[in-house]
Amino acid sequence: MTNKIGDWVDERSGWRKQYEAIFLRKIPKINWLYTLGSATLFTMMLQIITGILLTLYYVPEPTQAYASVDYITNDLTFGWLIRGLHHWGSSAMVLLVILHMVRVIAYGAYKYPREATWFSGVALLLLTFSFGFTGYLLPWDQRAYWATVVGTRIGEVTPFVGGSLKNIMLGGEEISGLTLTRFYGAHVWILPGLLLGLVGIHMYLVIRNGISAVPDRTE
Amino acid sequence: MREDADPPVADQADSDAADPAQDAATNSQANTDPELDAKGLSRRQMLSRSVAVMGGAIAAGVAVPAIFYIAGPAAEDSGTAEWIRLGAASSVEPGKPTLMKVNIERRSGYLTTTEELSVFVTTENGSDFVALSNVCTHLGCRVRWVDDEGGFFCPCHNAVFNADGTVASGPPPSPLDEFEVKVEESQIFIKGAS
Repeated sequence: MTNKIGDWVDERSGWRKQYEAIFLRKIPKINWLYTLGSATLFTMMLQIITGILLTLYYVPEPTQAYASVDYITNDLTFGWLIRGLHHWGSSAMVLLVILHMVRVIAYGAYKYPREATWFSGVALLLLTFSFGFTGYLLPWDQRAYWATVVGTRIGEVTPFVGGSLKNIMLGGEEISGLTLTRFYGAHVWILPGLLLGLVGIHMYLVIRNGISAVPDRTE
Repeated sequence: MREDADPPVADQADSDAADPAQDAATNSQANTDPELDAKGLSRRQMLSRSVAVMGGAIAAGVAVPAIFYIAGPAAEDSGTAEWIRLGAASSVEPGKPTLMKVNIERRSGYLTTTEELSVFVTTENGSDFVALSNVCTHLGCRVRWVDDEGGFFCPCHNAVFNADGTVASGPPPSPLDEFEVKVEESQIFIKGAS
């Protein structure tokens, strides 16, 4: 039965060929360090799911942001779990993305023909940091507030454009309700859009070029 | 069209038929093939089953709490199970439904909002009172009393209710909701629906 449905869809979409190209492709003999990219991808999916769930209750407005986070954490059934997964998942994702990058450096996997994969990966690293930075403000507590003060002051020392950069990030001279809404908008719309596009490119390149073998000691 | 479609389907059927046969062949030599364990599972089958089981467990681990998380507030009590004071009993004119309004506090999640509750109170003899909700039982629009016609009219789909709340005409499936009423020290109190 499922096979018949699969055939019907395959005849009209050719999904089997795509499935084979993605999941049944040939790979060299590798080790566990090669799972770090997949681990990052898994964490990303978990962040997307838990993040969407959090938007059902979170309110990006100065008088309600903290109260809504408090409600999610302490009153809602399993709210502590959903928020906890998102909170710890963000740290895990930064960690995994860096370990993944270290493995690529150590094995020289960024070399020809995989330079484009590396460049898209660097962009993804910066996106991951941006997610962490914008998401950190959203609970709207003291730690969130002062971390954003420090973070945007760091941006301010950029030569020539620093001052405008900080004011554009904050939506004014100081942190305000406008900062909260724009960080929220960036965190749930702008960055996810960029992330999904870049992850698509990154994974297309990984599959197209194949993964690199563990370098030989004599190479 | 059908003929065009046939060959690929037939091909698929062939390869499906080939797979079990191949499995049977490898199973028969299970003891000699180092790739197979005692149960005759290949390394590939074993791994893909493990992935399916672990993936399913992780998905369930997120999906089950997510369902509770989404449905949570629906189970919360919004807090209207107390007697609400509407106003003086003397303000209700016998024989004519009188609209009485009262502000109530409603809790939803971490927010408490003030809402206006409007209730039609009627009395025939000045001592027995009936309190009717002004919410149309069809789709929730607010009804109004029209004195000349002696009925409640709903503007949304032209429903008409009689003075006692029963349906006179139109689409509503049931009479107007009725509140529990008590009179204490010549003040009207209501409790219940809404």
